[in-house]
Amino acid sequence: MTDETQPRTDGGTATALPGDSHDDGSHLPPRWSIKRWLITTNHKDVGILYIVTAMFFLVFGGMLALLIRAQMWAPRAPGEGILSAMAYNQAVSLHGLIMVFWFLSPIATGFGNYIVPLQIGAEDLAFPRLNALSYWLYLASGLMVFASFFQGSTFAGGWTLYAPLNIPAFMPSIGATTTVFAIVTFCASVTVGGVNFITTIHRMRAPGLTMRSLPLFTWSWLLTVWMMLLAFAALLAACMILLSDRLLGTTYFAMTTDGGSVLWTHLFWFFGHPEVYIVFFPALGAMAEIFQTFSGNRIVGRKWFIVSMVLVALQSFIVWMHHMFLTSINLEVKTLFMATTIGISLPFDLMVFALIYTLIKGRIRWDTPMLYAFGALVLFIVGGITGVFLGAVVLDYEFRGTYWVVAHFHYVMVSGATALIGALFYWFPKITGKTYNEFLGKVSFAVFFTGFNLLYFPMFLAWGTPRRVFAYRPEYLVWHRIASVGAVILGISFLLIIYNLTKSLISGDDAAANPWPYSTTAEWAVSSPPPLENFPGTPSYASGALEFLGSDDDGSGAAAATDGGHATEHEEVHVDHASVWPFVTGVFSFVTVIGLSGLQVGSYPAGLEGLFYQATSVVGVVGLISAISAMGYENFTAHEGGFGETWPFGGVENTKMGMWVFLASDVVLFGAFIGASIFLRVAYGWTNWHPVPHNPIPGLVNTYLLLSSSFSVILALVAAKKHSRKGIVASLVITFVLGLGFLVNKGIEWLELFHEGVWLDSGVRASTYFLTTGLHMGHVIAGLLITAYLIWRAWNGAYSEGSGETLEYFGLYWHFVDIVWLFLFPLFYIV
Amino acid sequence: MARTKLYTGIYVALFVIATMQVGIEQIGLLEESYVLALALITAFSVIKAVIVAGYFQHLVWEPRSLTYVMMLGFVGFLALTVAASYSIQ
Ligand SMILES: [Cu+2]
Repeated sequence: MTDETQPRTDGGTATALPGDSHDDGSHLPPRWSIKRWLITTNHKDVGILYIVTAMFFLVFGGMLALLIRAQMWAPRAPGEGILSAMAYNQAVSLHGLIMVFWFLSPIATGFGNYIVPLQIGAEDLAFPRLNALSYWLYLASGLMVFASFFQGSTFAGGWTLYAPLNIPAFMPSIGATTTVFAIVTFCASVTVGGVNFITTIHRMRAPGLTMRSLPLFTWSWLLTVWMMLLAFAALLAACMILLSDRLLGTTYFAMTTDGGSVLWTHLFWFFGHPEVYIVFFPALGAMAEIFQTFSGNRIVGRKWFIVSMVLVALQSFIVWMHHMFLTSINLEVKTLFMATTIGISLPFDLMVFALIYTLIKGRIRWDTPMLYAFGALVLFIVGGITGVFLGAVVLDYEFRGTYWVVAHFHYVMVSGATALIGALFYWFPKITGKTYNEFLGKVSFAVFFTGFNLLYFPMFLAWGTPRRVFAYRPEYLVWHRIASVGAVILGISFLLIIYNLTKSLISGDDAAANPWPYSTTAEWAVSSPPPLENFPGTPSYASGALEFLGSDDDGSGAAAATDGGHATEHEEVHVDHASVWPFVTGVFSFVTVIGLSGLQVGSYPAGLEGLFYQATSVVGVVGLISAISAMGYENFTAHEGGFGETWPFGGVENTKMGMWVFLASDVVLFGAFIGASIFLRVAYGWTNWHPVPHNPIPGLVNTYLLLSSSFSVILALVAAKKHSRKGIVASLVITFVLGLGFLVNKGIEWLELFHEGVWLDSGVRASTYFLTTGLHMGHVIAGLLITAYLIWRAWNGAYSEGSGETLEYFGLYWHFVDIVWLFLFPLFYIV
Repeated sequence: MARTKLYTGIYVALFVIATMQVGIEQIGLLEESYVLALALITAFSVIKAVIVAGYFQHLVWEPRSLTYVMMLGFVGFLALTVAASYSIQ
């Protein structure tokens, strides 16, 4: 591994760019205008929105933590202290949920947004409007969490939302439903973002920027979004099933369902363990970047560091049952998962040693980012070692559900946060164009590190305290007091950080393009902050180092304009940077969820309250469909991929690739639904379980209908190739009619079952049948709405004159819906 | 369009396989030998899915990486379903 394989920028020589003349004819208002932030689709703007919003949720989650520590100041009986028992349960649950979902992942997403396109030499993400949509869905989901506090009570059953505590019988409040909805909305945001980043990082890298030479932060973020794509689909499935139990009355997680509560733990932790790395990987990547810059040394064993990250990402999906050693799963499987858990710690050891050796070999400059990154490594090592105890079945019997667990995962998670705060200081000059106060930064670290250890280390010593309750043995008093004092000190350090950065933003010195000697990644080769289109020319690593080719040399043609405003001069493609529809979609998602949250086991509350919820539901759904349609109809030109490195997706156009990546997540979503049905059937006794429909023939007819509709979509494509408008319209109309026939047939079948008294809550057999085929039906309905839109567009000649790509991509989705049915049909009608 | 013929042939084949799945149930194989019938029906579903993905979604003519992406999701489903079901045996 010589230095040549590592792309090096030319260390900040390309600083001649104006930093803030952003109003270059792209219809994007200046930065001081609020309107800009509502309509922007630029990755840097969206990144800033993510970071600022995440900091806001950090403060929110932190306040809940302080409430918890206040309650823990002394051992208490229910009713004592500042929080009631239920208020305490809410504080504990929402502190966890907010920190994990609404702070840690989003702040990393902010850096991913801002930094990754710069590092790979892309001018924006593949789908800028979807990027904005991810953000607005994230914000909407966060506001749902706020709202949930005012709807009776928010969720109070712990951040793991364990069954059967999560069902209406035990957690009846509307606010609890809204919390679950908020997670569902967040899952949607993450999925949209995952599709976007995966497409971007694979297909929009500058020439010469191969996977091997990809900067480590980008590597970590790429693996993060891959894990997100698949893991969050499982969480989405879990929460959708939970919502079905809460809103419609299915009985998946009911006390009476065999295996119901174990099913929840399987679904949740299949997501939950990868989630640990989803949270930690961006921190790890930032740590690696900071270590390299401030030691002036390339990371030791770079290739093996990357290999280790890939291994961990894969292995993270086969260790989840180490969270279930105290459930009724059998000993064989526990042993197996203990082994895989030991297995996943090995690549981590390698990474930690690589980081340590990098520091030993280099000459370290202890600037604020480095202090935080180094602190993060120390804390992570403590967190990792104490986690080994929990990975061993026998020890876990002792430690499960105690403050040992609480201390351990805070050392891991908050060490991730520590590295991300380091990243915040590291990239602050780049993002804002201002220099932060170094002295205050160092002071904040000293306070942070002290507060952190005072807060969490005593929890190891008071480990006999059961988690999630505020009663404990008197001998732990001193440890809990120290922890509470530590919490206040840690809180003060955050105030210092926020004060430092805010003050510097307003009155700090201007930052150079590259304030850090020895930085190597491309974001430091452009001005601080970078111009709207990022680069002064087309970035290329083809010569081995980063160069910006002038627009005259740019003969590739695949890349769109780099200087948006002067399109007429060079006859380059105009690229859009603004759309209001992602914002509108976010607004109506919020409205829809607030409306639907009123639904409880099949009915709305009585009186005015019910009327409010019903009206809100209708307004929300109509608005949501309209906003998404408007976004689909809007003309929006984005940068195309394929101008540089595209491994391993060369020749697959961006939108097509996005569709396939989305379908992969949909495989996991349906997979989790089908897996849940199979699991419950196994728990019930496989052969005692008979199909709910009496007769497989209507199901067979539906199979014929769907297969035929798939075939007619193929015919539409064939017609598009022949430029036959009539052919396209006719084929699509046939598709629509066949799909409608499927729904009518299904409707008749359901109505008959309802007449016989078989309802969604008639036991677990009926629940799985109705919900799984219902999810599929939802996909069919969505497909028919798109088909109707396509028919209208085809009628106006959209696909006969232009290209038939849209039809092709719709076909991919429709055939997928067909494939799913090919499995649902035998499972729910025959065997 | 030479492929139209191919697509039509595939469409017919899918029709036939779906019918055979119900046929297995109708001739009473599920009662006679449940495991064999289950295996056959599952195998038929997998074959149909592979054909639709390969030809209707034309994965056979795309870079293999797209197939691997889909396999990734499918393997995730298998891991979850098999391991979870085994865990309560
Ligand atoms: Cu885990």
